[in-house]
Amino acid sequence: MTKAAELAKMGEVLTNSQIGGRRNIIINGAMNVRQRNDSVAGLGDGDEGYVTLDRFRHTAAASAGRFTSAQTAISDLPGFLNCLHLDCTTADTSIAATELLVLEHRIEGQDLQQLKKGTSSAESITVSFYMKTNAEFVFMCVLNDFDNNRVNTQKFTTTTDWKRHSITFVGDTTGALGDDANNSLSVSFYLHAGSNFTGGTYVSNTWQSRASSDNMIAPGIGSFYSSTDNDVKLTGVQLEVGSQATPFEHLSFGETLALAQRYCFAIDAAGLAGSDVLASGHCRANNAAYVDLHFPVIMRVKPTSITVNTVGHFGMVTYGVINLACTTVSLQSATRRVASINLVGSTTALTVGFGCFMYHVNDDGLIVFEGAEL
Amino acid sequence: MSEVNWSVLVNDDNLVFIRNLDDGSQQSCLANHIPFQQWLRLNKDNLPNDIQAKIDDGTLTIAEAD
Repeated sequence: MTKAAELAKMGEVLTNSQIGGRRNIIINGAMNVRQRNDSVAGLGDGDEGYVTLDRFRHTAAASAGRFTSAQTAISDLPGFLNCLHLDCTTADTSIAATELLVLEHRIEGQDLQQLKKGTSSAESITVSFYMKTNAEFVFMCVLNDFDNNRVNTQKFTTTTDWKRHSITFVGDTTGALGDDANNSLSVSFYLHAGSNFTGGTYVSNTWQSRASSDNMIAPGIGSFYSSTDNDVKLTGVQLEVGSQATPFEHLSFGETLALAQRYCFAIDAAGLAGSDVLASGHCRANNAAYVDLHFPVIMRVKPTSITVNTVGHFGMVTYGVINLACTTVSLQSATRRVASINLVGSTTALTVGFGCFMYHVNDDGLIVFEGAEL
Repeated sequence: MSEVNWSVLVNDDNLVFIRNLDDGSQQSCLANHIPFQQWLRLNKDNLPNDIQAKIDDGTLTIAEAD
């Protein structure tokens, strides 16, 4: 790049306010926050959703291929210590039309209004990320506008070393994004797809309607499932306004965790001292209690489900009873701020009306509140 | 999505659904949990008796897909 071009680019960056303030619209792009599981194997038999790293969705349609998703420590990319790692464990070389594997990050419309999408002033959007694979692959980076059923696609080629990819998408003067808490736009990485997604014609960096088919989304991509040798590592994901990728914006762990807890909240007893109190309430029967558990941040919507890894690792404490292990830990009701949890114990030792604490018996207890993700 | 069946758990007239998964974990949900509704639609002709009873008496509704 010539000096003049460098100066022009710098001017554009300054004009678009890309320097200063928060630039990265992606949450957990450095792959540091993992509230659910550090590793899940045997994925690929259907839509898998959010299983490991927060905010990164495994959007899939059934395939014979299987993979493991994990948060993996890395030491060969200065500035980053974690990545999202997909490892193919069962190959699938007979690809049915409907097959699909996509890594996806969905964003609320109210967090995207600075893109000015659907106006004559629509901004360019730049997606940057670091990816490393076991061999060279062509994959597709896709912006998917859920509000207006529009899509923009660009291929990229991976390498066996970490490579920072920077992909700029033109602004879209058609289709405004809803100013609300719903899923409006996603950044997606298409890693495997059948002919329903590959049978069309590839048109680079052009906003298109998805009205009739998805077959223009991923023509010409390689397949993550082509061999059990395959693995994909991803980190440093950034989406920002403008046509220039700026350096990755690192946030503190605490900031990222709080941002992620809007969509998923987990109580992970690992590292907590024994008998830490998690919630308080009252005994409703001689073997059961309701306790209220307050969320650290207001969730996007009311959570609708909890998953408890080992119910017996949680227990109740009340007057005269200090160690009643649970046999059921279930969601009773929830608002965006607090959940009522139903605890059922293994014996009839409680007194109705007495106060009651919920605590963890074992430090590998995990409770995950789901239903607020996009 | 796991194929493990849900069952009905009622506390103080509040309808909750619960299942024990193969990995030893326990999941509970409210009726509007999206994956639960997807499971209801997928299995609507072969639901467990206690869940079918809640549909029959009108306390549980299968939502249409988006």
